[in-house]
Amino acid sequence: MKILVCLKQVPHADARLDVRSDGTWIQEENIKFEINSYDTYALEEALRIKDAGEAEVVVVSIGPDRVTQALRTALGMGADRAIHVNDPDAEGSDSLGIAKILAAVARAESPDLILMGLMADDGNFAAVGPMLAQLLDVPHTTTALKLEKANGSFTVERELEGGALEVVKLGTPALITVQTGTNQVRYASLKGIMAAKKKPIDTRSVADLELSGQVGAAAAKVRIEKVYPPPKGEGAEMVEGSTQDVVGKLVGKIKELGLL
Amino acid sequence: MGSILLVAEFQKGRIREATYELVAFARRVAEASGREVHSLVAGSGVEAAAEELAKKGGGTVHLVDHEVVAQYSLDPFLRAVTAAIEGASPDIVLFSNTPSGWDLAPRVAAAHDAAFVSDCFEVEAEGENLVLLRRVFNGKFDARVVPTLPVVATMQPGATSAFEGSADGQVAKLDADVTGESRTQFVEVREAEKKGVDLSKASVIVSGGRSLGGPEKFEEVIKPLAEALGGAVGASRPVVDAGWLPHEYQVGSSGQTVQPKLYVACGISGAIQHLVGMKSSNFIIAINKDPDAPIFEVADLGVVGDLFEIVPALTQAVKEAKG
Ligand SMILES: Cc1cc2nc3c(=O)[nH]c(=O)nc-3n(C[C@H](O)[C@H](O)[C@H](O)COP(=O)(O)OP(=O)(O)OC[C@H]3O[C@@H](n4cnc5c(N)ncnc54)[C@H](O)[C@@H]3O)c2cc1C
Ligand SMILES: Nc1ncnc2c1ncn2[C@@H]1O[C@H](COP(=O)(O)O)[C@@H](O)[C@H]1O
Repeated sequence: MKILVCLKQVPHADARLDVRSDGTWIQEENIKFEINSYDTYALEEALRIKDAGEAEVVVVSIGPDRVTQALRTALGMGADRAIHVNDPDAEGSDSLGIAKILAAVARAESPDLILMGLMADDGNFAAVGPMLAQLLDVPHTTTALKLEKANGSFTVERELEGGALEVVKLGTPALITVQTGTNQVRYASLKGIMAAKKKPIDTRSVADLELSGQVGAAAAKVRIEKVYPPPKGEGAEMVEGSTQDVVGKLVGKIKELGLL
Repeated sequence: MGSILLVAEFQKGRIREATYELVAFARRVAEASGREVHSLVAGSGVEAAAEELAKKGGGTVHLVDHEVVAQYSLDPFLRAVTAAIEGASPDIVLFSNTPSGWDLAPRVAAAHDAAFVSDCFEVEAEGENLVLLRRVFNGKFDARVVPTLPVVATMQPGATSAFEGSADGQVAKLDADVTGESRTQFVEVREAEKKGVDLSKASVIVSGGRSLGGPEKFEEVIKPLAEALGGAVGASRPVVDAGWLPHEYQVGSSGQTVQPKLYVACGISGAIQHLVGMKSSNFIIAINKDPDAPIFEVADLGVVGDLFEIVPALTQAVKEAKG
């Protein structure tokens, strides 16, 4: 079986984020990037299916040169090969544009299973998975916490609210978006990293995928006009001073609450 | 210009609160822009619920009453929504950002080659445009989003008050065949298991986030403060995802909802999924090194600083105060 895993590279969770000068997104120069947290769990699920039997794991990512790093990491963890859609014409795509690019890649690959993250940690859209499933006309489910494969179908436990679960069965080909915490994600071993150097990363352009004019900023139906720190509103009373002062004030408050 | 269509959702056999929040959003947009409000009610034995929604602001309520839509399932619901879209000709379709909403809504958008915007906390008509406000980067920033129409959007539950007025609407049975092949098969819903730790009863909760860096730091830094205050330990989701603490310690939309007398959030950014689980606590202290962290919006007292310095000092001071 063939599994396609869609990976997005996003700013590192500990990166200091600032709004860029045109105000429409964050400043991406000189910050660290990593594989989107949700996608690492999706990749780990794919690698576990591979470890348990016969499967080829192909990873795909859309993004600029820096994305090579994410793909190398995925190959080091055990993915077999990578596809990098690296093209300025893809920049500024909205979720539907990204889904269209991934659909073109998926059509050429014909995977039995597509695994994605539930959501990307940057835009928080949680959109590309179900959109891609629609474009490919395959069944999907979202927010998977557990996947079980049984002759040609997958049984998925998906997360609902407050700790409840829903069990859903899907036939293949299928697309599943994965929630965080689904598994313990492996690290790329030294051996894995060495082996990854020989694994192929194919690059594709928007034109290669015959999508010129259909994706990218000009085709986007969703435009982020402005990104800004959330308004403070009422907000907290801020306690300032030396650690000793701060702690003194906190203890005073806790006493007032009758908790001491 | 099209209409505005909202997709109702059931919880424990009744139309859920979040649907009436959609009604409130939809009516505001409708009023400002001269659109008509339409709703879709899909379920089994839900005619009375549809009547109720029609009386309580849902406008023209398109009803699909069939056992195959008794609970959420992809293909039958896609058919129901597609039929409602044909019936109502909307250029704005609203879902709640709930597990069924986020499963279905983006797919509906793609099926209609429409714009999609998720988890919005505000929607406003501004002239010809629709403006949607939402969080990005897990709450660190807000974004003002302007989609081309038609648009499908999901709205964050709890972001506005439920519509409480009454208004004349009517129920219209939708002529839709929701049966047919279903490529996903609903098996069952498993309710949350009763847990050993019931945080909902704790009067003090001291919670730690991803920035703790490992389980040993919970033992060294968070637990001593919780113990000194006679309270319990809580955590954000990444802590549980990483296996530092079991799921029963998780506070938030996919964990426990708590309302202690005092909630101390240590190194927790304040993503909405965490906030919904703790924001109705009686008193909230937040300690975070980022002065712009959204946790400070819901906190009563905030400290900008390093938790590894402040929390142990606070533990010591609490112990001393107790004598
Ligand atoms: C469907 C769904 C359900 C979810 N359910 C939940 C849920 O139930 N509960 C939940 O919590 N999350 C949930 N999440 C995840 C949520 O979106 C956030 O990712 C998560 O809450 C972030 O956790 P955090 O604040 O610990 O980490 P981060 O967002 O990474 O924040 C870390 C914070 O620590 C601060 N910090 C770093 N070092 C220090 C230091 N030395 N001293 C002080 N401060 C420091 C940083 O400034 C930052 O604000 C859910 C997400 C989804 C999509
Ligand atoms: N640029 C991208 N390249 C590859 N996969 C992506 C990209 N953007 C989003 N995805 C996939 O779609 C998922 C959901 O992203 P989003 O809808 O943007 O929140 C991610 O977790 C990835 O699996």
